[in-house]
Amino acid sequence: MNRESMKQLFKSLWLILFMLPMSFFAQNVVNGVVTESATGLPIPGANIIVKGTTNGTVTDFDGNYSIDGIKEGDVLTFSFLGFATQEIPYQDQTTINVQLEEDQATLDEVVVVGYGTVRKKDATGAVSQVSTEDFNKGQVTTAEQLITGKIAGVNVTSGGGAPGEGQNINIRGIGSISLNSSPLYVIDGIPIDNGSIGGSRNPLDFINPNDIESITVLKDASSTAIYGSRAANGVILITTKKGKGQEFTFNYTGSTTLYRPTDYVDVLDADEFRELVNEVGNDEAVARLGNASTNWQEQIYTEAIGFEHNLSTSGNIGGFMPTRASVGHTNQDGILKGGNFSRTTGSINLRPSFMKGHLKMELNGRGMYTENTFANRDAIGTAVDYDPTQPIYDEDSPFANYYTWLTYNAEEERYIQNSLAPTNPVALLNERDDTAEIRRFIGNAKVDYQLHFFPALTATVNVGLDKTNSHGRNIISEDMPSSQLDWNGSYSNYINRTTNKLFDAYLTYENDFNDHSLNAVVGYSYQSFEYDNYSFDSEAEEEGNDSEFIDKSKNVLLSYFGRANYNYADRYLVTATLRADASSKLNPDDRWGYFPSFAVAWNINNEDFFNSSTVNQLKLRVGYGEIANVNGLGDYLFLTNYTGSRSNAYYQFGSNYYQTYRPEAINENLRWEVGKTLNLGVDYSLFESRISGSVNAYLKNTEDMITYVTVDPFTNFSNTIPKNIGDMENKGLELELNLIPVQTEDFTWSIGYNLAYNENEITNLPDQVETGGINGGTGNNIQLHKEGYSPYSYWVYKQVYNEAGRPVEGAYVDRNGDGQINENDKYLYKDPYADITMGLNTNLNFKNWDLAVVSRASLGNYAYNNMASSKSYEVRTTENSILTNLHTDYFNTRFQSLTEENLQSDYYIQDASFFKLDNITLGYTIEEIVNDSNLRLFGSVQNVLTITDYDGLDPEITGGIDNNFYPRPRIFTVGASLNF
Amino acid sequence: MKMNYIKKLILIVPALLLVSCHDDLDQTPIDPDSFTETDVFANADEARGALAKLYVSLALTGQEGPAGQPDITGIDEGTSQYSRMLFSLNELTTDNAVVGWGDPGLPALHALSWGAGNDFTTAMYYRLAQEVSFCNSFITNAESLSDNTEVQDYIAEARFLRAFAYYNLIDLFGNVPLVTVVSTELPEQDSREEIFSFVESELLGIQDQLKESGANDYGRVDRVAAWALLSKLYLNAEVWTGEERYTDAITYAKQVINSSYSINTNDANGNGSAYDELFLADNDTNGAQNEFIFALNFDGNNSRTYGGTTFLVHAAIGGSMDASAFGVNGGWGGLRTTKALVNKFDYAVTEEDEDGNPVAWADARAMFYTEGQSLEINTIANTFTDGYAVTKFTNIDSNGEAGSDEGGDFVDTDLPLIRVAEIYLNYAEAVLRGGSGGDAGTAVTYINELRERAFGDESGNISAGDLDLQFVLNERARELYWEGQRRTDLIRYSDFVTADYLWPFKGGAPTGTAVDNYRRIFPLPSNIISINPNLTQNPGY
Repeated sequence: MNRESMKQLFKSLWLILFMLPMSFFAQNVVNGVVTESATGLPIPGANIIVKGTTNGTVTDFDGNYSIDGIKEGDVLTFSFLGFATQEIPYQDQTTINVQLEEDQATLDEVVVVGYGTVRKKDATGAVSQVSTEDFNKGQVTTAEQLITGKIAGVNVTSGGGAPGEGQNINIRGIGSISLNSSPLYVIDGIPIDNGSIGGSRNPLDFINPNDIESITVLKDASSTAIYGSRAANGVILITTKKGKGQEFTFNYTGSTTLYRPTDYVDVLDADEFRELVNEVGNDEAVARLGNASTNWQEQIYTEAIGFEHNLSTSGNIGGFMPTRASVGHTNQDGILKGGNFSRTTGSINLRPSFMKGHLKMELNGRGMYTENTFANRDAIGTAVDYDPTQPIYDEDSPFANYYTWLTYNAEEERYIQNSLAPTNPVALLNERDDTAEIRRFIGNAKVDYQLHFFPALTATVNVGLDKTNSHGRNIISEDMPSSQLDWNGSYSNYINRTTNKLFDAYLTYENDFNDHSLNAVVGYSYQSFEYDNYSFDSEAEEEGNDSEFIDKSKNVLLSYFGRANYNYADRYLVTATLRADASSKLNPDDRWGYFPSFAVAWNINNEDFFNSSTVNQLKLRVGYGEIANVNGLGDYLFLTNYTGSRSNAYYQFGSNYYQTYRPEAINENLRWEVGKTLNLGVDYSLFESRISGSVNAYLKNTEDMITYVTVDPFTNFSNTIPKNIGDMENKGLELELNLIPVQTEDFTWSIGYNLAYNENEITNLPDQVETGGINGGTGNNIQLHKEGYSPYSYWVYKQVYNEAGRPVEGAYVDRNGDGQINENDKYLYKDPYADITMGLNTNLNFKNWDLAVVSRASLGNYAYNNMASSKSYEVRTTENSILTNLHTDYFNTRFQSLTEENLQSDYYIQDASFFKLDNITLGYTIEEIVNDSNLRLFGSVQNVLTITDYDGLDPEITGGIDNNFYPRPRIFTVGASLNF
Repeated sequence: MKMNYIKKLILIVPALLLVSCHDDLDQTPIDPDSFTETDVFANADEARGALAKLYVSLALTGQEGPAGQPDITGIDEGTSQYSRMLFSLNELTTDNAVVGWGDPGLPALHALSWGAGNDFTTAMYYRLAQEVSFCNSFITNAESLSDNTEVQDYIAEARFLRAFAYYNLIDLFGNVPLVTVVSTELPEQDSREEIFSFVESELLGIQDQLKESGANDYGRVDRVAAWALLSKLYLNAEVWTGEERYTDAITYAKQVINSSYSINTNDANGNGSAYDELFLADNDTNGAQNEFIFALNFDGNNSRTYGGTTFLVHAAIGGSMDASAFGVNGGWGGLRTTKALVNKFDYAVTEEDEDGNPVAWADARAMFYTEGQSLEINTIANTFTDGYAVTKFTNIDSNGEAGSDEGGDFVDTDLPLIRVAEIYLNYAEAVLRGGSGGDAGTAVTYINELRERAFGDESGNISAGDLDLQFVLNERARELYWEGQRRTDLIRYSDFVTADYLWPFKGGAPTGTAVDNYRRIFPLPSNIISINPNLTQNPGY
């Protein structure tokens, strides 16, 4: 579709909107005004229906309505989204003025979708929402943790146990190999950039979880389509708390947390190690043994403390401006000594209304200041490596008495560290200072103007700004053991700046007439993303090389979108969306893409023939949508450009050194990657909603998948380029079930269960792509993308075992039978993704007590135990003129050497299925502690229990390669929350 | 009225913004390290930076030293350096070297058991094909400046480098596509003979366009390099095309020998031999540079890589060796040699240990470290002390000082790819193989020049009766080991895959075993085969 036909399309859309008739009847007439009880502001667009008939109307912009054709005994129903419905009998009144109350219960039924909201029962797509009361409790630092285990098909995995650690979130499996697989986050209508920022642990940590009202996950293409190309992997809509009520109320929540390490990597202890070295080492090796007995892992981990304070207030300024403001402070130490995460957040939300509600504004400002101190994670690996018979300190060491494997340098006439030796883990922690401060501001101003002359139409403009500024530095003291001959410590720093701008403008048409209801949106969106990074390196400066580096880029996304929701008698629901996207990352000819989606739903329970008091809701849904993706693709890849070399990569001609220019690989034909999703769903609710939930089945085909694949270097300037090649299929089934077995005034018990089955398969890929770098050797990979298999499948040799079941070193199955073992004998075995994930949660409320338990299970996910594979061969104990400790898996294998084949043996691919009891929280509320105030006291334990057959530290490893994993601590929290 | 105004604004302003934002989709690079074609080919001075890339892509691995912004992906960056891969493919596959590391595809090289997906054969193919593309692009773009005489030289050098890349491709892979213009069209495969003819005609064509002998900057080639490469090409012609060209090999060897280049005889560090000067940190100035017809230039500060001589020095240090004696801060404990190489110096042994193993030699080219090392190899993997270590390359200069990198990581030593001594031996071999235009007497003179340099006197000299083909092969091993030539030499002598000549762990067997004939060339990368249906895999793979 070209731009001309686009214009035609929008013209037609307009015509449809304007031609829709409004209905009028003329008999007995009632007039009145519908207002908000809290603010007294008129409510435009409220529905007035004569109960049991199709006679109805809506209020105009001043809240006025007029309805005729009514007779005595009729009941008028006044309703509006988010407000409790009122029914008023008609007894010959000429005027009925109604004040509607904001209704919490009704609010829950409304789900946020792109550029608007819908009642949950009107939703046509796969949408799941979790609100405040169902959020995970306990110590929660980032938004994603609120919904871990709560939604089928949404997998949240922390990167490890560091404070403020990033969370990896995947919706319905892996949709793309090379592009970003994370969902789009939209906060109060602002799609944010969730790319990583230097110095930040988690791009989402700027938002204080205490400010979040609800999180909605849009899972299928028919519901995400309105967000276009950034939404290819699903959308997570975060709605923050808004000002409520007339009087200002306050909430303070504070807590203290203890983090405790639970387990260490299994290594030989000092006695076992001494015995082994005596057995396998020569005299020189035995002579290197020390007399100490040091558990290096105990030296680097510690119990850690954290605390958190949050204060928020909510009310209304001047009767026209609902307001909420909050400040929060979190401070956490890490269990790896020296790490700290300290965050201060502030937010303000103003929602003034003018012109009797015709002009509504929403102003959001959200600021974050974080100070990160990163403990040196290299210590995690070297604490496993380090000889347990050596002491931590040795007074003969030239490096501030840290015990060090030394070698004498005759040239310099002094001792330096053996260049192949691990560095003393305690020194790694103490002698490096790696800190960063991140400042981030996200603000937006949204104006809704409901047209005076045509109240069914609202014009909205939303302008947003997201600015991040991060300053970091890394100082290594000269006391750090080093093999550098000129070592005198080092200093490097960096500044990362990102500026993202958003401009949205859209028109919303909303009208109900008889049994028909139509909501239509057309709009335009502009987003720009600018990156400006600077870094400095003192080592390079000392050498006289380039020491300051600048890295800049910018890209722009531009879109037009339209959506129509049509509802007939609450029985038949239709949604159609069309989005046109253009990205500056693509060449002008392929830059524009047009992506439609369509969904229908049928509320069977509203049919006349369906007459059941048991079934409150039964809705069937079918949706299909196409979404494009270029998230994570580099900029300017379709342009010819040259990269200049840095001054340490110059080349000598004569006696001068010259900068060199390299032509960059180019793909002039990059196009959008397109995901096509079909979703079938059932929403159900039985026995007065005591049993409710949904079932979804989906099939997603990603076509023209952008993948970094081999290009013949005879035809280009590199051996890989991103290319639209290959297809991926994700399919699955999701089940959500909510039960309320007991619901009395004093006692409520609810259970939430979800199950998701997912399968990822690369259905077309001419090339095969190695990936998954591991520790051990240089450049070894363990995973492969190959047609017919899951992405990131493990690519391994098939181990041969002896009668005793022990792996035989160097013996692998010669799968192609050519008499030799080489890479042609490798096969694809298992992958890191779970076939089935489950969540089981329960909430108990008894009088003033509340108890919440959250658990999760993951089945069929496999991990590569890289700690065992790279650190358990016998020669390692004594090689390189030092002593190095072994992983205890050595006792199972007795492998002698580290070879490519040993490392890539399927022996190390292990079933990492698990059940985890994530969270137990117990609370007690004291009401009216002083007048109008209540106090809740709570305690929680997180990471309570893990049941798994996996041998490594933790079976839950993002990406499946278990190497130098920062262990997740057990977390104990006590706290209090006071409302006043 | 005011309200109406606001209403209009709300509708009109977005409409205006909407139109103006469309132009914003045309973004161009704003990074200060990014240049356009117009910038790079603005004038001869700027174009020199593009020419430098054609040289540096054989010496370094990317636009950041020692690693970063790599040219080749999918392999460890340091490993992807040209001469490091050449060492892996042409030395590790032979009696000259073993390595103890478990890098992917590496152990299969000495075991002669690589498959078509081998990381080293694959990355070498990528590196050379990319070099061809870099050269093709340069030659096309530099045309716009070709009325400048300096740029004419650049273009001739680019054609030499492209021919050099194809020379390597013939040697390693045989049948590859011949591409002279960068195009996204998938190339057709050409035969070894066709590529041979192309390299030959290019070298003949540029010999007069390149600068006069010795007239170019150090590090850039002149016409002697074209002659030298022709002599190498003709020497291997029988293997590569089935046609003997030994007379031509002699012709161009003689042109080289008669040029301004000569073997180094300056014993700059005064240790009794002028051989080791070729591999010292100051070999760009200590006299060795006169022998280097084509060398890769490294520098501890300005040209950093984990390949090149940094690799050859560090990787060869381990066991009880003192890294500071080599001007670096430590060893990587990897490379050693087999007794097959050590035994080639048996005629010059001056000292043996109690077990009767040699520990000192009169021939200064026998540069081995023996203390704590066993001559026999029991285990290759992770066992540095099995096999003698090699001390040929060092980061110490003629004055005994370490190189310029204060940290001791990166090495200054340049690496000769073609030097005069090799051409001497080419001459001798071509004469013995029946080429005309030369004579055995002159060949003996040349070999004795090398011998005198090695021994420091005439005690190692040979007589005409000693000279035969097998002698030349062994002399090439002694003179040129670890310089990336051995596999090609063994193939020319039919010793590479056959049972005629075995060395420790040849074919994976401790005492050595023959392997299939097809292993005389490497496979085309399986990834390339799968994306280009025009290509046929080399037989056997």
